[in-house]
Amino acid sequence: MAIVYKKNSAVFSEIAGVEEAEALLEWLHSHPKGKIDLADCTHLHPANLQVMMAAKRSNYLPPSDAGLAEWVDSALKTV
Amino acid sequence: MNPLLEQFISESREALQGISEKLMQLESEPDSTLLMTELFRFVHTLKGNSGLFDFPELTRVLHAGEDLMDAVRDGQVAYSLQLADLLLDAMDFVGMLCDEIEISGTIDAGYAGDAQRLAQTLRQMIGVTSGDDGACPTTAASDPGQAEDTAHPLLLSKIPERIRMDAYQAAAGGTALHFLCYTPVQECFFQGDDPFFQSRQTPGILWGSIAARQPWPELSELDAYSCVLDFHMLSDAPVEELREYYRYVSDQLKIMPVSAQSLLLDPGDAARPEQAFVAAGPATQASAVVEADSHQQEIRVAARAIIAVQREILSLPDDVAWIVGRLQAVAASLEGCLRVTGPGDALAGLQAASQSAVARRSAAPLLAWFEEYAGATAAEISLERELPAAAADGGPPAQERRSATGSESAVFRAMPPDGEVKFGRRADDAYSAAKSIKVDQAKIDRLMNLIGEMVVAKNALPYLAGRAEAVYGVPEFSREIKAQYAVINRIAEEMQDSIMQVRMMPVSFVFQRFPRLVRDTSNKLGKEVNLLLEGEETEADKNIIESLGDPLVHIVRNSLDHGIELPEARIAAGKPAAGTLTIRASQEADRVVIEIRDDGKGIDPEVIKRKAYEKGIIDEDRLERISDQEAVNLVFASGFSTAETISDLSGRGVGMDVVKTAIEKVNGSVSLESEKGKGTLIRISLPLSMAVTNVMIIESNSQIFGVPMDAVVETVRVPRSQIKTIKKSMATVLRGRIVPLKALNSLLGVAAQPKANEEDELAVLVVSVGGEPLGILVDDFHETVDIILKPMLGVLTGLSAYAGSALLGDGSVLMVLNIKEVV
Repeated sequence: MAIVYKKNSAVFSEIAGVEEAEALLEWLHSHPKGKIDLADCTHLHPANLQVMMAAKRSNYLPPSDAGLAEWVDSALKTV
Repeated sequence: MNPLLEQFISESREALQGISEKLMQLESEPDSTLLMTELFRFVHTLKGNSGLFDFPELTRVLHAGEDLMDAVRDGQVAYSLQLADLLLDAMDFVGMLCDEIEISGTIDAGYAGDAQRLAQTLRQMIGVTSGDDGACPTTAASDPGQAEDTAHPLLLSKIPERIRMDAYQAAAGGTALHFLCYTPVQECFFQGDDPFFQSRQTPGILWGSIAARQPWPELSELDAYSCVLDFHMLSDAPVEELREYYRYVSDQLKIMPVSAQSLLLDPGDAARPEQAFVAAGPATQASAVVEADSHQQEIRVAARAIIAVQREILSLPDDVAWIVGRLQAVAASLEGCLRVTGPGDALAGLQAASQSAVARRSAAPLLAWFEEYAGATAAEISLERELPAAAADGGPPAQERRSATGSESAVFRAMPPDGEVKFGRRADDAYSAAKSIKVDQAKIDRLMNLIGEMVVAKNALPYLAGRAEAVYGVPEFSREIKAQYAVINRIAEEMQDSIMQVRMMPVSFVFQRFPRLVRDTSNKLGKEVNLLLEGEETEADKNIIESLGDPLVHIVRNSLDHGIELPEARIAAGKPAAGTLTIRASQEADRVVIEIRDDGKGIDPEVIKRKAYEKGIIDEDRLERISDQEAVNLVFASGFSTAETISDLSGRGVGMDVVKTAIEKVNGSVSLESEKGKGTLIRISLPLSMAVTNVMIIESNSQIFGVPMDAVVETVRVPRSQIKTIKKSMATVLRGRIVPLKALNSLLGVAAQPKANEEDELAVLVVSVGGEPLGILVDDFHETVDIILKPMLGVLTGLSAYAGSALLGDGSVLMVLNIKEVV
């Protein structure tokens, strides 16, 4: 699993594929205050990204991958 | 003709067909952007292909068509019937040119005028009457959509300061930058795409961002797998490379050139001076000047203005606390200006001067540098400052700026617009299309003939087996030959079957012309007609399908002209204003059945009877006895027409009998059912394939003949005593039904009498002629065989009694009777 759901946070590791989006959406829906940890994420499928954008989670732990961080920033900071 | 041209012609034909199909479909759903895009693509491909050859007339018309389609696609011109007519006309013209090219290899110069006119009419639809008629396919100066092709400042303003400045420096240094808008299709996730990954890997990417296309719905209503993200990127890779990289999604990508100036300072920055390039107060004033122009000459003028402002700043008293900041700001401004305009070597001097100025907290070193650099031109600088200031106010130079951007984008397009992409696509096409090949029909026909010979040669083996047993007395050998024959027989049959499959074509081949035909005809007649095509995938032999074309056109025209009424008449009769014409194909056993049904006024049998009588097609006697069903089928009689006036559509009296003849030529049959006021149904039945005919061999007067099994109803032996003679003609009663009898010998003009067998029974071959049974007296029946029927050639063509000849296994010739003609 590329996304591990903890008590109150979703921890991404490496590459989050398209098939994760459905579960992520459900988790975001059921955890309105849930935190997102992208630190170890190297790439995530845009389906995951768009559910996070739709959930308006602008507060997250940015990816350590600088390139990815900028992209994610542009997507999540503006929502 | 070279192969490339040959392919172009054949591809063009397909594209033209596609275009007219799409136009038809658009008629029913004029708002479909999908259809519009497909249509545009067809025209675009056609135009692109035509550019490979030196056919300016062709390219000119197609180019105008493409521009029009582009305008329609972008919603600048509304789709209308008139527009469709115009495009169809244009495509007919293109089709004509293709014919011309195919025949003579060139286009007669006489068409140039027509091409010009057509192109002009097409362009008038867009509302652009440009002098440039598009002789050069890549000049898009008159193209309306160009304003969108430079990146909008709003898009650029999203780029963070730091990156934008780096980009600006690169752009000022001559690197071409492009802004990319990638809008993946909604269902792209299902196609296994990862547009984000694709975007991240964009060549030469400097910056990228993701934005939502629309406001987000509630989480509970969100579809995670419907992509609603837009990807925006800034790249310094050459546009060709970008197009190559995105060639699979080229329709979802917009590439816009970015000029250095648009990166530098846009209106957004002017509104937020704290983010402006030069932080110092007076400098923003000058930078507003820079913002307003992008023309190279104007850049220089503006830069000089900035420089002049810096000089003024420097001449301010030095005794302020912020002198260091001020000096640094001035130095940065000057440096920027020099990068754009000045010679590179002046930079070093400036840097040295600014360093010493900062160190001494005095403007003097910089002023000294000024004198050295600007020198004699210093006096002019203050004068020139006025000009760009006017530009900032939106005066005439702003106008110039717009035209300048315009020419920039024109240049951008003049580079091969999608040359790279196209070739890439070509290669892919070839790869995916490798499953089917185009073969010349002559090659298939040759295969067909060869398998025919094979079947005949194979049939010789049983004879050989018979001889081995009877003549040479080796029954074991005979059995072996028969075993081998069984194997060869199986293979030959399978081979024959597969070759037949190759020749099979869907009836859509003939159906596809009907939407256009029905549309044009009904428009001309002022009628409203819905055409329904069903079973287009039904397949039959190519020859059969091809022979179907003309008869069907006749029938459809007849239905439209005589069958379906005018809208007013239909409403008066309680029917919907629009008539329905259904053409349905289906397969029944080894035959293809085509039904053409209309819900028009039907055929009045009384009118038909009267007309037929007036024209002498039936006599008074028949007139009394004929049933309504028989009467309506009289329309197939030669020389029959009910229409009072002859129109250019139908009514010349050569319609339906020609239809019948054409269909019967391929062993088909046609029948008609009609109910007055309700409509007409015409049913055409055709064999699936005419390549192999199953015939029964009969013997008469020691000669053998073939009779097509289609005509044979049954074979019976009738005792001579049961044959009655009624008024000189013979007849017998078969299962309570009177069957007239005719002797084959007398039909063929042979004097001999039919031979009876030992029990004094005569062999009667019951055939169906025009739906009625008829007994033919023969001497004996033999087996049925599959033969390849060869039509009569040369002087024998006139012998209508024979349908053709075939070779039998023992090498003898079998004459196949044409029963309808014989009796």
